[in-house]
Amino acid sequence: MIKRLLSFCTVVFGVLSLTFLLIHLVPGDPVEVMLGESASLADREALRADLGLNQPIAKQFGSYLSRLAHADFGVSIHTKTPIIALIKTRYPATLKLACLALLIGVGIGVPLGVYAALKAGHWQDLLVTIISVRLSAMPAFWLGPMLMLIFAVWLGYLPVSGMDSPSSIVLPALTLGFGLSAILTRMTRTSLLEVLNDDFIRTARAKGLSEPQVILHHALRAALLPIITIVGLQMGSLLAGTVITETIFSWDGVGRLLVESIEKRDYPVTQACVLLVALSYVVVNLVTDLLYRWADPRIKLAH
Amino acid sequence: MFLIYRLLSALLLCLLLSLSACKPGDPSASASHALVFAISQAPLNLDPRYATDAASERLNRLLYQSLVVLADDGKPLASLAAWQQLSPLIYRFTLIKNRPAFHYHQTAGQKSKIRLVNAYDVKATYDSLITLSDSPHSAEFSNVKNIIVQDEVSLLFHLKKEDGHFPAKLLLGILPVELIKKRHDFAHFPVGSGPLVLLDSHNKWRLQRISDGQRITLIEVKDPTVRMLKLLHAEVDLIQGDLPPESVRYLQSKPTLQVKTSEGVNFSYLGLNMQDAQLKQLKVRQALAHAIDREAIIKKAMLSHTRLGGAILPPEHYLQQQVLPAYRYDPALARRLLLEAGVSLPMKLVYKTSTDAQRVRLATILQAQMRTAGIDLEIRSLDWATFFAEIKHGNFQLYGLTWVGVKTPAIYSQAFASSSVPPHGFNRGRYQDAVLDPLLIKEDWLAVTQRIHQQLPYIPLWYEGQFAAMGKSIQNYSPKADGNWDDLATISAYAH
Repeated sequence: MIKRLLSFCTVVFGVLSLTFLLIHLVPGDPVEVMLGESASLADREALRADLGLNQPIAKQFGSYLSRLAHADFGVSIHTKTPIIALIKTRYPATLKLACLALLIGVGIGVPLGVYAALKAGHWQDLLVTIISVRLSAMPAFWLGPMLMLIFAVWLGYLPVSGMDSPSSIVLPALTLGFGLSAILTRMTRTSLLEVLNDDFIRTARAKGLSEPQVILHHALRAALLPIITIVGLQMGSLLAGTVITETIFSWDGVGRLLVESIEKRDYPVTQACVLLVALSYVVVNLVTDLLYRWADPRIKLAH
Repeated sequence: MFLIYRLLSALLLCLLLSLSACKPGDPSASASHALVFAISQAPLNLDPRYATDAASERLNRLLYQSLVVLADDGKPLASLAAWQQLSPLIYRFTLIKNRPAFHYHQTAGQKSKIRLVNAYDVKATYDSLITLSDSPHSAEFSNVKNIIVQDEVSLLFHLKKEDGHFPAKLLLGILPVELIKKRHDFAHFPVGSGPLVLLDSHNKWRLQRISDGQRITLIEVKDPTVRMLKLLHAEVDLIQGDLPPESVRYLQSKPTLQVKTSEGVNFSYLGLNMQDAQLKQLKVRQALAHAIDREAIIKKAMLSHTRLGGAILPPEHYLQQQVLPAYRYDPALARRLLLEAGVSLPMKLVYKTSTDAQRVRLATILQAQMRTAGIDLEIRSLDWATFFAEIKHGNFQLYGLTWVGVKTPAIYSQAFASSSVPPHGFNRGRYQDAVLDPLLIKEDWLAVTQRIHQQLPYIPLWYEGQFAAMGKSIQNYSPKADGNWDDLATISAYAH
């Protein structure tokens, strides 16, 4: 447990310092974005001092860490809004979208993968493979507008983008979910095919268990480990805010907030968003480890 | 096996049911309540003393009223006030009788308050601007010595130095004095005397027209394709600018939409780094000008109504009034000029641009055209903030940008005077010209534009055409030359 806590702290510190360094290395700073070109040098210096940007980088980082230790994320340089309030309004939207996308991804990907494995070598397997390869090759910036065109403009069932109605979430969730389902289909198929030839499956069949019982209770459970790994990794990236999808669909989540803050060089907001992303990954990894143990009791967390 | 089939069928059924449960939008219903305008970039700051981005400036023109407005030919016209130059250093401004009123925000349980704009408001607005250390506009008014209110409707501006174009600078929205004193948050809760009032700005900007109560909502949709699809799906009533020409042509083919186009005044150019060993040679700059087939680009890759550009101010500007000879497309001449300049071919240059798809496309066209003239152009597209920072710091050889909304000749001093190198001005190319500087001081704008056109510290490209696409029911809205949204003060939709 201590080991895990230490690795958690190392990851978070690494992310914090790297983000801080990189964002300060990129050309452009908030003062330039805020004041424009016509501002006088004195005004620029005054604002830079006001924001603490005239301090050496190490000192700025030190005071940032000290504020963070007191759970003070600071305020947005541009809007002066407390960052914690910004995240509180944006994170639930990302969480909602991520959960639905995961549901769609798992709901489509796992059954399709099982189906492909059971039909291995047949045309159905080939068809599923072609669909999943096609889906995984479709980037969100292409798939999103295509779904908009079909379901919103042509069929008129759903809104193009925005967050105005409950149905607004369907298209961004499908955009993310389709990509995820493609990966899960391939992973489930491969993993299940490895298991289906094992002795314990033959034994289960010899015992007279029905095919669905053999597949669902024995084969699929044994094939779950790599699937859980992929789901965990994907959930981490979904919670990190799916930058492109949120931007295309005008979805006010963490991903869009991160993009906006980078555009405006709003350092504190960018740092807070990246920290949130890192924490999301760490938490999801922990949950994934726990799920491993559930899927295969031979695995012990201590190892 | 049967279970898998059942699972798949159930999933498909659920998906179809959930989709069929969604009702198609009813565009007319939404349009009858509020007109929705999709914009590419959200306004960042609605306090006119701080606003610098185009969206904020365009919205602020509708939320506030300024003392002066500029006509299409750039001449200053009285808006809130008429003026008189009493001496070279003193201007008197007199507020017009039928001037508009401030519309204060309606807070819970209170009625909205209104009162007329007065001279004390004008003084407080400009005084506060001059004293603000973090306003991008305060430096522009450093020439103001003091402002003296004579009575409710008249006031004097005393200048430190003579400035014949001073009235044309007074374009700032006027704020109410009592709220300035209270340090009111105008950035989020604007209180002005313009034709529109902001109701709220949570993710979208809900506005109301004072004259008839018409609601107008601005929503930010960054992706151009999504903006177009939202218009096609009638989720929005209006879009303007920031769309590739082929998308505009597609919209023009749709019978449910109307697309209006007009000439523009926003000037696109290729910026050159005059400190670069190659680019500091006039012949190299002339070669670049002759290596670009601007007419072909305008014809094939630009919006209709885009026209060749010669100088930042368009030829119809009252201080321009001259047609500058265009540099004709002649790759053979360009190649010869490069050889005469002692450059070994192909000449390698790096061109920096933003990540905007249309800008990147133009860059690739330039790259192809320049290749025939012996110029090997390497394209580097950067995110906007990085790109602009690189330009301001002089880390470039060539870049492409557009001057937006420029209406006064002061831009020539800010962009080309030797003393205007960033951070002291917009002379991003670090151009130093001992002949030009005295002309700028003398404000001999005709001679200034001729000298710039001859010396080519930038390569002039074009004035981009403007367009607005809207539903058939939309009336009284046309795109403006500088892309402003002033017609939101008159826009209407008739019921089907």
